[in-house]
Amino acid sequence: MKLFKKMRGGLSCDDVMEVLQSYLDGETDTETARKVASHLDECTDCDLESSVYQNIRVSLSTNKAPIDPVVLDSLRQFGERVSRGEID
Amino acid sequence: MTERPTEVDSPAASADATEAFNRYVIPELEVMYRTARSLTRNQTDAEDLVQDTLLRAFRAIERFDGRYPRAWLLTIMRNANINRARKKRPDLLDDPDLTFERSVDFAETTGPEELVVDPTFDASVTDAFAELSTDFRQVVELVDLNGLAYQEAADILGVPVGTVMSRLHRARKRIRDHLAEHGLDSAAALPRGATR
Ligand SMILES: [Zn+2]
Repeated sequence: MKLFKKMRGGLSCDDVMEVLQSYLDGETDTETARKVASHLDECTDCDLESSVYQNIRVSLSTNKAPIDPVVLDSLRQFGERVSRGEID
Repeated sequence: MTERPTEVDSPAASADATEAFNRYVIPELEVMYRTARSLTRNQTDAEDLVQDTLLRAFRAIERFDGRYPRAWLLTIMRNANINRARKKRPDLLDDPDLTFERSVDFAETTGPEELVVDPTFDASVTDAFAELSTDFRQVVELVDLNGLAYQEAADILGVPVGTVMSRLHRARKRIRDHLAEHGLDSAAALPRGATR
């Protein structure tokens, strides 16, 4: 990480590391998001780091335990009965 | 149940309530159920909690302004869950951490994502996830597995959004460091290339 001092997109690599996860989660303001995106376009190190976090996220969400459609369906039916005031 | 001046004074629901419920609540059922499962760790309890939340939501639907239905529902669920925990174990009060005791069962895993991840990478992420402390694991579950926003996770846990953010980021950093220890951090980017 020899490029730490370089500014790209108006941000240093340290700045990017600080907000990278929030950025990937879509939890930064648009101005910050724009700066991070432009930094990532120009900085291979940060871009790689970003890919690692994206892959972690995909891996976690892929491993998400499946929902039993029967259970979901019975909850939906329950919800519909509630909505008609049939259960209270 | 409803104080609205409806012409049809039926004992059942007003048409408005039914419509609002179907519009705001029913679409959130899957998220509600996933969240309930994270909270209760048990399918039967999760179903009970969702049903309880649905009933409470219906009673409150006419006072709901239609903004942020998910956050509204999760707040209701949180209260319902606290209530439920109190009934079950009166000695365990308000400690959300105690409701997240077991880790996700990763044995049966398939998801809608069709992206191919290197199985070694995947296994390593799973290991690292399992090693996280309960506090850290629960935020990862709520955000990465259940798809909640930071604020929504904060609402359901009853902690400030900054706490969710710092736990989540530190948790993922641990997973990331675990990958680095196994030489998987830079290789990770290769199988699928740049996804951005
Ligand atoms: Zn950089």
